[in-house]
Formats: sequence, structure tokens, C-alpha cells
Amino acid sequence: MGLLSLLRKLRSNPDLELRILLLGLDNAGKTTLLKVLASEDITHITPTQGFNIKSVQSKGFKLNVWDIGGQRRIRPYWKNYFENTDILIYVIDSADRKRFEETGEELTELFEEEKLAGVPVLVFANKQDLVNAARSSEIADGLNLNSIRDRAWQIQPCSAVTGEGVKEGIEWMTQACNKKK
Amino acid sequence: MKLKRFLLRYYPPGIILEYEQGGILKTRSIDLLDLSPSTDVDKVVEEITQKEPLITPGKVEQVQKLVARLQEKIGQREDHHYYLFKVLRAHILPLTNVAFNKSGSSFITGSYDRTCKVWDTSSGEEVHTLDGHRNVVYAISFNNPYGDKIVTGSFDKTCRIWSFESGKCYNVYKGHTAEIVCVSFNPQSTQIATGSMDTTCRLWDVEKGTEVGNLSGHTGEIISLSFSSTGSELITASFDNTVSLWDVRSNKRIHTLIGHKAEISSAQFNWDSSLIATGSMDGTCKLWDRTSGRCTATLRGHSDEILDVGFDCTGQRVLTASADNTACCYSAITHQQICKFFGHEGEISKITFNPQGTLVMTASADKTARLWDPDTGECKQVLEGHTDEIFSCAFNYEGNTIITGSKDNTCRVWR
Repeated sequence: MGLLSLLRKLRSNPDLELRILLLGLDNAGKTTLLKVLASEDITHITPTQGFNIKSVQSKGFKLNVWDIGGQRRIRPYWKNYFENTDILIYVIDSADRKRFEETGEELTELFEEEKLAGVPVLVFANKQDLVNAARSSEIADGLNLNSIRDRAWQIQPCSAVTGEGVKEGIEWMTQACNKKK
Repeated sequence: MKLKRFLLRYYPPGIILEYEQGGILKTRSIDLLDLSPSTDVDKVVEEITQKEPLITPGKVEQVQKLVARLQEKIGQREDHHYYLFKVLRAHILPLTNVAFNKSGSSFITGSYDRTCKVWDTSSGEEVHTLDGHRNVVYAISFNNPYGDKIVTGSFDKTCRIWSFESGKCYNVYKGHTAEIVCVSFNPQSTQIATGSMDTTCRLWDVEKGTEVGNLSGHTGEIISLSFSSTGSELITASFDNTVSLWDVRSNKRIHTLIGHKAEISSAQFNWDSSLIATGSMDGTCKLWDRTSGRCTATLRGHSDEILDVGFDCTGQRVLTASADNTACCYSAITHQQICKFFGHEGEISKITFNPQGTLVMTASADKTARLWDPDTGECKQVLEGHTDEIFSCAFNYEGNTIITGSKDNTCRVWR
């Protein structure tokens, strides 16, 4: 990728390219999701120490997806990546009930960010393949998503490992962007 | 005019004359770019004496000794094998750029963690954390050869100058309306140039901390800039497919170099600033005559984008690094390809000669940096160990120390 292509992805090319920010707690499955989007092998994934960027073609759009590490000590740096975001994807580990409160707090903070104001948000209720996964409606209630009035939002149950639900999420994103224009 | 003393400059080879004129101390340099171990010293000295009135018959013997010393230094061909000296867990987020001071006793690293860190090379200790930017610290530089100041350019749209000694911030330069991605001190260390995604380049006064020039005219992001060796001119490379040559004093554009069919990735002057090399995403490297602004050669040795270009210190050879996993070395005079470097298994994003011009270093997405013989194209060494792609690499002036910076958040020192 190199530093130069970083700069190329940084510039906004509003007609053809979408800048997508992929956030969520550590171990939510962001990098796995990113690799699934890019049709790559997901057998060896380690905690992200920084970020990964991949470009995916979908329905005439070039999606530049920025996957940012979710560990607590690097969450303060999420801010680095807010500028020019077209869509926010927020990934939740639906089976990790102990951390629903923590993930809700982080999401609420993101909603309050000026630079993300009005940016459509897609919540992936990931890891639906696990038996103890919470249903997406349950998570939507818990996160109080129904009270959102200032932006388009969607919650999409999915499993990055099996690939189920991922395509539907992407479809929603491209639609949300078409509507914005 | 009275000659005070001689100073030697090894890379590129030259003799600097320090003299007094009207009570003011001045310097003038005699460049000996063609000097080689086989050059006839007496002939060179004769030429110099004829051209340079400061060198009186009484000084000829001294000049002879200096030229011989330079020749000896150039002839030295140590087969240096670099070993891993230190691994520095530099930052908690990926590194951007790395840079040495002139001697290589210190170096700096920029990072996504919004800081720039100053390191002592021999101990591997962190000397200062330059903290203050509110976003990624992307472009960094020492004011070499002095090395007492550091400039940082950030995605927070500001540029800062810091004291190397204390780590304190002298000045914050505000004015750009988008990310700053390239910075440079002029050779006199009196001005800074910053290039930004806002398509402008700005000049700032180091002492006063004020903006002294706004070079606008590009229609795309500026991603690379460099001063000529005298500091009177500046080139800016842009994603608008062009390179501009500016007069620094008048802030006027002298030439726009038009010809590339895609974004420019890098632009460099050669030592005497007679030539400009540009690399582009169109897969070619072009050489331009600085005086006329005309393209004099198009080097087509790659099947994919060119990501970096570089001259050797005398300006006789040009390097290109490409996304096709190879790199090339060309003669800047005949435009013939001297050799091609094969071996990397990922794109090559950085390429540089060592100051002596005897070795080429490449940094790649395949997690290695490699050292090559520029005459034969043979790979001399593979610097392995990073666990993610290498973004940046640099030699110190002596060429005996290397730093590599990686997306794996570490920085490695090799000696």
C-alpha cells in the first residue's frame, strides 16, 4: 500500500468513491469483515495495531474501507480518520453480552462527533453464527437506535465468518449513498 | 576578497571556499561531480586554478592535497554488511516517515499516534516526544546540515517547528485548509515549505513564524516538494499530473512541467539543479531541463505505476521504484538503463542511493528492505524482520547506518 496510496485514498473523489469507516470494539470482527468484503482469506487474523485499508467495487462505487483497531488504548485515535467519511460501519460482537454497555457508550460518543454529523451508520450485529448471539432487534433496543433522528441508520445481523448478511449490508450502504445525492 | 579557509565536502565531492568580502564572511563551492579514482589530479587542480581567482599560486599545493583526499574517499569501497542493531517499539500506531540528522547520531519518526519522536541512534533511547499535533504526523524533517530544528507537518493542517535540544515547540504555522503531506527546510534553514492536500504550497519564515508565500496554481493535491541546492527554487509535484518550478523570492511560477498522463508520485532535483526527475502513476519517469522546462527523456522500464524516483548525489544516475515489484537505475546523461533490480515480492514504495552512490536501498510492501549494487543490479542484502510493510527508509550521511519504518509500528536501526 505504501504512504502514497494512503494519500490517494485520503483525497475525496465524491462521484465514484466512498470513504467508509469501520469501527467497533476490539474483537468485534472488523478486520474479518473487511477481508470478507475484499474476498480474502480469513484464517489468520491478529488484533489490528493500527489500520487496514481495502478498496472494493460494488454497484458502480469504489468503496474505500478503513478498518481501525478497536483496542481501548487506540480508540482515542479514531478521531484521526473521521474527516470526509461517507458511511460509518459499526461492528458489534453479538455474543459478547458483557460488553454491550461499553460498545453502546462508544457508539453514542461517535454520534456526538461533529465531523460525523449526518453520516449514515450501518450497525453490523456480527457473529450471528454463535449460539449465544443476541438478536439484532435486541441489540437495536439496547443501543436505543430507534431514537436516532439526525441520520440514516440500519442494523444488519451478519456473520463475517460464514458471509451471511454481509451482502445485504453493502446493498443498504450503496442505497443510502444514492439517496444522499 | 580574501580567502579564509577551505572546507571539504565528500558527498557530492567538492571544495568549499570560505572568504571575506567587505567584512562579510561568505562561501562559494567548487563542485567536482565528475571526480573519480582515475581522474588526473594535476589536471583538475589546473582547471580549478584557472577558473577561481581566490586560489592564488601559493594555495595550489593545498588544493592538490584536498582533491587527492576527495579522490581517496570516493575510491573507498567497503563491502559493509549491515546487521540489525536495534528494534524500537516506536509508537502505538503505525509510523509514517523517518529521517536522520546529518551525522546519523539522531533520527526522528512520525506516527499516526499524532506524535513525532526523537531518538538517539546509538543507545536506541527516546530523547523527546514532540506532542501537540491533533492528528497524524505525516511529514517530518531536520534542518540539515545544522540539525538543531525539526519540522513536522500534520493531517491537522498545521506545521510545527521544534527545538531538537529541548523538544519544545517554537511555532505553529496555520493557514492550510487540508492535510499537510510534505515539508522541507530550505538549505539555509531560514524558510520552510509545506505542501498540502489543499493544492497549495506555502512558505514560512522560521524566525518570525509568519507566512511569506502562498504558491497556488496546482489544481490537484501537492504530495512532494523539494528545494534546489541553492534554495532559490522549489519544485512541487501534484496529483494534477504536473510539476511546478517556483522562484522562491518572487513566489512566481517559472515553469509547469506538463507531459505525464497520470498523478505524479515524486519529483527531485539533481545536485546542480540542472535536471528534474519526475515519477508518475502513468508508469514513466521523465527528465526535464530546468532552464527550459522541457522534457528531455521519458524512461519506460516499468509495467506499473512509479512510486518514487531519486538521483545519486552527483546527479549522474536516476532511480525509479515501481508497483510492478521492480526498480531501475538509469544514466541521467545517456538515459540508458544501467540495470534493473529484481527480487521484491511486493510493490516498492521508496528508493534511495546511499550518499556515496555505491549502494541502492529499496523499501517494499513485502516487509523487506533490500540493498543493491547499482552497477550490476545484484542484490547485496535483504533486511528482514519487519512484520508488516515498510513505509520509509533512510541512510545517514556517512552511509553506515540505516533506519526502516514500518506499518508494524516499529522502527529498526541497521549498522
